[in-house]
Amino acid sequence: MPILDVIDLHARYAERGPEVLKGISFAVEEDDFFAIIGPSGAGKSTLIRCINRLVEPESGRILLYGADVTKMSARRLRHTRRHIGMIFQEFNLVDRMSVMDNVLSGRLGYVGNLRSLFRLFPRHDIIRALELLDRVGLSDHVDKRADELSGGQRQRVGIARALMQDPQLLLLDEPTSSLDPKISREVMELIREIAKEYKVPVLCNIHNVQLAMEFCNRILGLQDGIKMFDGPTDQIDRQKLDEIYAMEVL
Amino acid sequence: MTSAAMTVRVDAIVVTRAKAKGLRYAGYFALFLLVLWSIHATIIVDTDWARLGSFGSVMRAVGRYASLDLELVPLLWEPMVETFMMACLGTLLGCFLSLPVAWFGALNVTPSKLIVYPVGRFLMTLSRSIHEIVWGLIFVSAVGLGALPGILALACRSVGFISKITAEAIENIDPKPVEAIRAVGGNNFQVMYYGIVPQIMPIVLGTIIFEWDINIRRSAIMGLVGAGGLGLAFHRQMVMFNYPGVTTVIAAILVLIMLGEVISHRIRKAVI
Repeated sequence: MPILDVIDLHARYAERGPEVLKGISFAVEEDDFFAIIGPSGAGKSTLIRCINRLVEPESGRILLYGADVTKMSARRLRHTRRHIGMIFQEFNLVDRMSVMDNVLSGRLGYVGNLRSLFRLFPRHDIIRALELLDRVGLSDHVDKRADELSGGQRQRVGIARALMQDPQLLLLDEPTSSLDPKISREVMELIREIAKEYKVPVLCNIHNVQLAMEFCNRILGLQDGIKMFDGPTDQIDRQKLDEIYAMEVL
Repeated sequence: MTSAAMTVRVDAIVVTRAKAKGLRYAGYFALFLLVLWSIHATIIVDTDWARLGSFGSVMRAVGRYASLDLELVPLLWEPMVETFMMACLGTLLGCFLSLPVAWFGALNVTPSKLIVYPVGRFLMTLSRSIHEIVWGLIFVSAVGLGALPGILALACRSVGFISKITAEAIENIDPKPVEAIRAVGGNNFQVMYYGIVPQIMPIVLGTIIFEWDINIRRSAIMGLVGAGGLGLAFHRQMVMFNYPGVTTVIAAILVLIMLGEVISHRIRKAVI
């Protein structure tokens, strides 16, 4: 059974704005590292954000382990979001907080308001946070403020935060767009390793086609809100890529 | 261009500039006449020249304040402490009252843009439109004399500025951390506390310190309407016509304000 099943997804940003996603359907299996590629404005970011309803879809179904995310109440949605880890293009860290607090904030869905207020996360959470920070190579930076780190380091904090949630699915929104080529590659390698290690499927929105082809096993090609390609990486060729990116002004 | 055409063009420009200059100077002259008329209407007509006497007598009147009544000093310690405490407690209470007002008055977090937001904005304006002395009078008539009406008055007056700056800070936050906390499954409180509060903290703290500093001065004045502290001492010396005493009280207020400045500076460095 697929972990994530998206069925006929439609979305638009404003009430009467243009339709950004025009009936997208695809499935993500347990060991997938799924890349969404396409030109700017194709709807890649919107698609990623519809999965955890940061953007409200207009119609369609999004089944996470069989449960329809689009129909969930606010409370159930929050509980479900705990199981979906997200890594952002611009890291989305709380700059003035320490690295440790940022990683611990991944557990906010599991702790109550009083604990949140005093930042009293359970001991086992702190232990796990330290383990994860060690895994991503940031043991020496645990008490630094998030804004004291470089871009690559910040993204690794983001990765640790997402993993703190013990996620069933990882959503990546252009995780390497703000990083230089060498660091981009390192970050993608780290994510691939960790995803394999913790057996978490990854859905990744990426505009660097080379990286997509290198790290991902399946590709979803979007153009103007429509699915142009959905299949294994080894089946996509130059011609198909040109078709997908046809409308992009280089 | 031929020299004849050039001359015509230059003449035209000279005429336009002369006209503009003329208009400007006419404006200045009109302004000058307006100022003369204002001086006449407000000062010359309204002043009791007989009472004023000569320049010398005015200087002598001011000179009466030019000495200190040192015997008064030991009696001023308690009012000084009271004034200082009033400023602290008034600012603290003002902070608490500002929280809901700022939340209401920030477009991105207000519960209702149509009803609650205008109410928040109105409360901000109301707080700042009523002078602290008037607030003082309102509370003295409501709760009686002493430090309490002073504290309440300061709190009400402080809400306007603190909540306005806080609301503006909230409206200017970076939405990205907020998005991240939502994505992690945080509820509204967690989104606010982890996503919004850390971003606005420096500005809000700076504003609170600033307002506290101003409140020291305000709290000294409060005593004039019966709200305790140095203001009361000031009033007493005035009604006894003890001019050196009045100067001494003013000097005490000055000491407090300077102390407030030093403390603000230190706290700012330490916290922000």
